[in-house]
Amino acid sequence: MAVAEQRPIAAPETCYHCGEPVPAGVSLFVDIDGQARPMCCPGCRAVAGLIAGSGLDSFYRRRSSYSERPGEPADTAGEYRVYDDPELAGDFSSSNADGSVSARLLLGGISCAACTWLIEQALSRVPGILAASVQLQHSRLDLRFDPARIPLSEIFARVEALGYRPQPFRADTRREQLSREYRADLRRLGVAGFGMMQVGMFAVALHAGDLQGIEEQYRGLLRGFSLLVSGFVVYYAAGIFFRTAWRHLRQGALVMDLPVALAIGLAWLASAWATLTGSGQVYFDSVVMFTFFLLLGRFLEARVRRHYALAWFDVEAALPDAVSVRHEGQWVTRPRRLLRPGDRVLVRPGQTVPADASVVDGIGAVREDTFNGEHLPRTVHPGETIYAGSVNVESALQADVLVDFAHSRLAALQQSVDAARSGKPKLARLADRIAGWFVAGVLLLTAGTAAVWLQLDPSRALWVSLSVLVISCPCALALATPAALTAAAASLRSAGVIVRGENALESLGRCTHLLFDKTGTLTEGSLAVERVLVLGDCDARELLELAAGLQQFSNHPISRAFANTPANTAFAQVVHIAGAGLEGEYDGLRYRMGSAAFCRALCPVLPEPPEEPLYWVAMCREEQPLAWIGFSDPTREEAPAVIAAARAAGVRVGMLSGDSSPRAAQLAAELGIEVTGSGLQPQEKLRRLRELQDAGAVVAMVGDGLNDAPVLGAADASFAVAGATDLARAQADFVLAGDLGGVTRSWGKARACRRIILQNFAWALGYNLLAIPLAASGHVPPWAAAIGMSLSSLLVVTNSLRLHRSGVAAPEVLRG
Amino acid sequence: MDSLYLLIPVALLFVGLGIKLLLWAIDSGQYDDLDKEASRILNDDDAPGDETREKQ
Repeated sequence: MAVAEQRPIAAPETCYHCGEPVPAGVSLFVDIDGQARPMCCPGCRAVAGLIAGSGLDSFYRRRSSYSERPGEPADTAGEYRVYDDPELAGDFSSSNADGSVSARLLLGGISCAACTWLIEQALSRVPGILAASVQLQHSRLDLRFDPARIPLSEIFARVEALGYRPQPFRADTRREQLSREYRADLRRLGVAGFGMMQVGMFAVALHAGDLQGIEEQYRGLLRGFSLLVSGFVVYYAAGIFFRTAWRHLRQGALVMDLPVALAIGLAWLASAWATLTGSGQVYFDSVVMFTFFLLLGRFLEARVRRHYALAWFDVEAALPDAVSVRHEGQWVTRPRRLLRPGDRVLVRPGQTVPADASVVDGIGAVREDTFNGEHLPRTVHPGETIYAGSVNVESALQADVLVDFAHSRLAALQQSVDAARSGKPKLARLADRIAGWFVAGVLLLTAGTAAVWLQLDPSRALWVSLSVLVISCPCALALATPAALTAAAASLRSAGVIVRGENALESLGRCTHLLFDKTGTLTEGSLAVERVLVLGDCDARELLELAAGLQQFSNHPISRAFANTPANTAFAQVVHIAGAGLEGEYDGLRYRMGSAAFCRALCPVLPEPPEEPLYWVAMCREEQPLAWIGFSDPTREEAPAVIAAARAAGVRVGMLSGDSSPRAAQLAAELGIEVTGSGLQPQEKLRRLRELQDAGAVVAMVGDGLNDAPVLGAADASFAVAGATDLARAQADFVLAGDLGGVTRSWGKARACRRIILQNFAWALGYNLLAIPLAASGHVPPWAAAIGMSLSSLLVVTNSLRLHRSGVAAPEVLRG
Repeated sequence: MDSLYLLIPVALLFVGLGIKLLLWAIDSGQYDDLDKEASRILNDDDAPGDETREKQ
């Protein structure tokens, strides 16, 4: 208990598979590596059992982060069957000459290299699969299989059984562009590396020659070849700096690439001039080394970001690929994309509604958390509209499609996500703000030096001013930011936070507001029994057993609250009355559980539900009220600590909720935060955020659902919690793999990172201040300049690596 | 020392060849997934997938 008191966030027992706390009352275990490991839910147990049962337990030793908690076990195998039609699978698979088929699947839920190993191992044992290779960077599975021995739908099902979410991988322009950019970066880096080695070799000879003397002839030869090689490197590898600097300069912005391009360009030109005229000094080695290290720093930084770029997950992926359509009097399975307005579709319980449609037959309930974040369903009757992306929870519905996907409410959500992303305020990077001053300063100094030397000794003026430019070469300055960001991102990753956003770490440290979504973010996102108000003569335990017995027959979200309650299995003739509740017979008496009106029909004396803002469900038997059972969505236990830490750091904490019930206000009061808005549609959430931003606030947002995606995209820094939808993850700057405490950890790391960046700048500028006067007075030979530059860069990189040590952030978690 | 006039161009020829090989390797996708390759060496058994990579 002593340990638990010190660390209130740490749960007594966490799921061995997904790392989430094991809920009280759950006792699920899987034998892994000869030990019984606790599991938090049947989903995790199924996945872990399959992994261990296939002899792949070593996955758990290899992995570097927890797996994702698998979703509710759903009957999706039938849905995948549409992909067995070669025509439909044509846009992500192709037939080979030998009769085998190659296919590409996009996988959700891949978190580390061990996942790729697991999937490859598990699939390669399946007869009929000829080759399987997972690309971690693109979360892509490349398959070659024999369609005569195994259908594609079976492969989909097997991947899903391992706890990942497969979907067809369809090429899109953005993805292609990312992969093209990555290769271009790598090509530049490779060329710069080769060039650096060559020119470095020549430079050793030249420097040795400077010290012990060298014949003019050979010096010219070595310089000439250095000129050739470095010229190629500058043209091929450093070209990007010139282009970026020029592009920004035309818009009137001084960016870091400008001093970089100036230093590279002028140093190379001056050296070329020296080579051709056989006078002065050459800096070819500095030029290529600088280019290489800079490209390396940026490559690593981009790799960290690109690794988790999930931009290709879009809302449409949430919809089923196969739907049941009425065709000539029969229900046939058709690809969703062939749906036309007017088609009649059948949506079975548990399925996602494929299109905006008008209900024509059946009374049911749909969960619309896509649009409002809430898990309690809305009852629908014939004539009412159901929206694509919501989930049918109760009974089968028949509906007529109203509009195609492009005009659906879900597509409108996607549009606002895209709009939010592009409208995101760009906080100027620290490096770029400093760069402006730096460039101006260096240019002024150089001009000053030239002016002074023209008076003293006109023959040396050119060379001295050039050496000022070269020595102020901002290598350390340019490395300061990428090195620190890369180190901080790597360190956060081992703490269970994946950093995706471009400037997220820089902007997070400056946030003034922290906003939370309610359901699924501050709360667990699932209902639990909170209160039992006994009205009859049964005791509470007996009542819950009765309730669990009835709820076994239901798909409604409240039935999950009873998943771990021992159920009374003696109920007979249980019927589910859509939109009302459940009725069953036990011991010769009829029992009902559901809405007040529904229960009053059986037992008119049922009193009104209590005032407390809970979700109340009545229970009664013939002529006798039994209980009011109050459900609520429990608060995540680590939430108060996160909020307290944020407030201690002077950040205002608020809540943006799609829920309009009094529960939102109650929860906010409980946690002591202000309600910034409740009952909000995704677009309204976005508007609230924009209002805050327009008023000058820098806002961080934490959310989980599809409905949070636009806000997450627009916030200055955003977090997606564990269990968030793919689209929310794709929009968030940080993805939390564990509990909400990751928000506090990221915040601490962001501040530590900012401090390290400032230290790096201070050192880089200090070095320049020291070296420039020496250069201006004509005292710095090229080899000294080269050594100084390398040491200075090395120092900046070493300093940044300190972020990797957990000690930097831990003691002062949130104080900046 | 006159051999330098021959040796340096020969060395540069090799460098050119090396760069060409590297660019070919990058373009054929061999460097597309650096993370997985880094951990592949730690796997005690042969990981499959070598065939598919050549096909890309």
